[in-house]
Amino acid sequence: MTLLHVENLHTHFISRDLDNEIQIARALNGVSFDIAPGEVLGLVGETGAGKSLTAYSVIGLLKPPARVVEGSITFDGSDLRGLDEEGLSKLRGSEIAMVVQNPRSSLDPLTRVGEQLIRVHMAHRRTTEEAARKRAIDMLAAVGIPAPEQRMRAWPHELSGGMAQRVLIAMALMNEPKMIIADEPTTGLDVTVQAQILDLLRELVESRNVAAMIITHDLGIVAHYCDRMAVMFAGRIVETGPVMDVFAKPAHPYTRTLIASTPERLREGKRAILGGGAPPNLFDLPPGCHYVERCEFADAGCRQTPPWETVGGGHYAMCARLAAVREAANE
Amino acid sequence: MLMRRLVLAVPLLVGILFFTFMLVRIGGQDPVGLLAGPTATAEEVEMIRSDLGLDQPLFTQFAIYLGNVLQGDIGRSWISNRSVLTDIAERIPITLELLLWGVALGAIIGVPVGLRAAFKHDRLFDHISRSVSLLGFSIPTYFLGLLLLFVFFFLLGWAPPGLGRISLLITPPPTVTGSYLIDGLLAGDFEAAGSALSQLILPVVAVAIISAAPIVKQTRAIALEMIGSDFVRFARASGLPAERVRHIVLKNSGTPVTTFIGTELAGLVGSVSLIEYVFAWGGVGQYGLNAIIRGDFAAVQGYVMFLALFSLVVFIIVDVLVMILEPRAGAE
Amino acid sequence: MAELTAGAAPRPKSRAAKVWGRIRGVSRRSPTSVIGFGIILLFGILAVLTPWLMPYNPVEANPDLILKGPSAANWFGTDSNGMDVFSRVIYGSRFAFGIAIPVVIVALVIGVPVGLYAGYKGGNIDEAIMRVVDAFRVFPSIILALAVVAAAGPSLLNIVLVIGILDAPIFVRVVRAEVLALRSSNFVEAGVIVGNPTRRILFVHLLPNAISGAMAQTAVRAAWAVRISATLAFLGIGIQPPTPEWGAMIRQGAESMVNGQWWVGIFPGVALILMVLGLNMFGDGMQDLLDPKRRSAGK
Repeated sequence: MTLLHVENLHTHFISRDLDNEIQIARALNGVSFDIAPGEVLGLVGETGAGKSLTAYSVIGLLKPPARVVEGSITFDGSDLRGLDEEGLSKLRGSEIAMVVQNPRSSLDPLTRVGEQLIRVHMAHRRTTEEAARKRAIDMLAAVGIPAPEQRMRAWPHELSGGMAQRVLIAMALMNEPKMIIADEPTTGLDVTVQAQILDLLRELVESRNVAAMIITHDLGIVAHYCDRMAVMFAGRIVETGPVMDVFAKPAHPYTRTLIASTPERLREGKRAILGGGAPPNLFDLPPGCHYVERCEFADAGCRQTPPWETVGGGHYAMCARLAAVREAANE
Repeated sequence: MLMRRLVLAVPLLVGILFFTFMLVRIGGQDPVGLLAGPTATAEEVEMIRSDLGLDQPLFTQFAIYLGNVLQGDIGRSWISNRSVLTDIAERIPITLELLLWGVALGAIIGVPVGLRAAFKHDRLFDHISRSVSLLGFSIPTYFLGLLLLFVFFFLLGWAPPGLGRISLLITPPPTVTGSYLIDGLLAGDFEAAGSALSQLILPVVAVAIISAAPIVKQTRAIALEMIGSDFVRFARASGLPAERVRHIVLKNSGTPVTTFIGTELAGLVGSVSLIEYVFAWGGVGQYGLNAIIRGDFAAVQGYVMFLALFSLVVFIIVDVLVMILEPRAGAE
Repeated sequence: MAELTAGAAPRPKSRAAKVWGRIRGVSRRSPTSVIGFGIILLFGILAVLTPWLMPYNPVEANPDLILKGPSAANWFGTDSNGMDVFSRVIYGSRFAFGIAIPVVIVALVIGVPVGLYAGYKGGNIDEAIMRVVDAFRVFPSIILALAVVAAAGPSLLNIVLVIGILDAPIFVRVVRAEVLALRSSNFVEAGVIVGNPTRRILFVHLLPNAISGAMAQTAVRAAWAVRISATLAFLGIGIQPPTPEWGAMIRQGAESMVNGQWWVGIFPGVALILMVLGLNMFGDGMQDLLDPKRRSAGK
């Protein structure tokens, strides 16, 4: 029983350049993943891999010239691509809530915090302002903000980054969502605060049985806070599986490189951040596997679209050379 | 922001005064001749020469000049034979009447159009309003005035001839505010008020059109920036209805748009002067332009000074307004 | 869209097709810039081909043809001196370019180096320069121009110099902003590390990039120059009648216009509006194209 089922999602940026030639940036090229109720999925990838874009494609908030050109998105049984803007906005902030980067600049600068919480609640529920106010105070308390009644009257610019993020989480919880999408929720926050926020998120999500998709480029976060993980590269999910399994036995060459370097980086006190190597050119992707230019195992067969292979229980990878990779790992 | 502006105002003022001081010395002509005017007698010329210390070194001259200005003496107009200060002071409300009504009308038209263009970005309304706005930028102010007179006075006969603020056949009401319209209403003289109103319409429309162009352009730019901002994206991601999101955009656009209209007010005095000239409005603008054309340089100095001071005052008022409206301002 | 044949290799295009494609691409993004360019081109042709396009001598007075309305003989009618308005309007295009081009050159020659210098040096020098630039902003520039020209005398040189100097601060600001942006980028730091002396850095590295920003403003400033010089002429401070400059012609036509002889003032006025509009449209379009921030509300 899945809550969110995304299959073969293609999102392109289509525009004409100054020479009147059509330019297509293929940002998502067949993204497929599932999230079960109450499950926490970590979506990892380099900058530009398409993680945030996946989230915004799911809730239908793409800015032109970005468009979903193919694929299906099913949430709790409903086909999201078939919904119009009005239908989608009923889901957003209610069944599917988002927590984003830059919490301070994501709050309306001219409205007090409490008012914004109430606003989100009353947009989706028939209730009185009294009841909404009470709920807002409860949520502020639940996210660990001291003196919540006073905080209701705060202006967004008066909050620290960590506080603002807690407010965003409180806002996400106002309407008892089935799923929270957290897009880089701790980037830009103080290191100590990061752990607090993630602990809070994890605890709330577990206690209320809310599903979550945490988008990040930090493998450490995935390791500590997620049940399952999906690794993205150049608009495709190249590996997915339970966090423990993927860390213990990474199957895809890309995942291997990243995870292999993680303990060393952690030992050196560096953060387990993904990166390195030239980002692929979305206007001109290689046919077949997109990782081909950086892969040490690539061969002629990689010019075809790689197949989904099963690696273990619930653990899959999109690669034609898994056997070779396994051999190299056993040496 | 306010403190900074006030502190900077002082050297700015000195700079402006220095500029007006130097104005009559550009081009290497004899300043006394320019200031005294062609109707002056030899005695008067000598008097001016010693009064202003024009036989002394430049520094002393400037000191004397500053001293005079601070005492309220900006010189004497040889055309009106009165103190320039008096001439200008009594014309200020006349210009203000035209400027304020004009910009108000321009804003009433311009702001909604700019907002609509931003919301309907890249659609037909946007393109049309941008083109019309560009047209507004391209029409010379005086030509617009002449055009309006031609169409509405000569062709259609709807408007009175552009001969000042009130029909020549009607006695103006007693002066309270300086505005014939308001004074007429205050005095219960509806004939005068009516005439003043009909004389006001065309010049106000001209100023409105001129001011609307930049207002449309800037309002659109501000609104677009808001629409693309993080918090608007987040509001939509939170499922707030389109109405609400629009409301958020409007509210956040309020302060920057108001600030801009304030700057426009300051920048428009120049164009308003040309409208005054075409419609014989009798305000500071017409006075100043006449002074420039006919070489009444004491009056020119006063006019230039007035313009700079006016801009400064408007900027300060706008800053105060922003401080009141913006919760964030205190945090700066 | 039928064109979405993903991955299909584009057919090689002929040169003509490429040029046409470029025109269509630019006009799709910014139709105003193309229309504006067209208008400027039109007036440019008029200015260059003036002697061959004028049906009559623009300053030849015909006492028996005073204030005649538009007719087959005089398309735009005649003015109070009996001169043919059509010929005069065509000749006026020479003044428009004759003022716009020198003014812009003056403004660039002053503004770009000052902007480069201010941006590169930073610190107190930069502050001081920006104070002066801001001071210009406080002032309605029309009046400054009027006052100075009135004081110094209405020669063409004075007019060009004054307007040019007044336009320079805009370029100072634009160029300085570009320089500041580039300064903090890796581009310039690499140059400094290799040990290029200051002047070389300025000219070889920063200049080309900073100038692109200035170029976009150029058309708008040219529009302003044409406007102000016409205003000067209209007030009688600039070029005087019977010289066929559009502003002077509007001045001549002002009296007549209100009394019904509209052609004397309206035709030069329309020409003036079109020229300024063309420059504004082109400049506005250029700014849209060159400055990505100014385009749509982001991706």
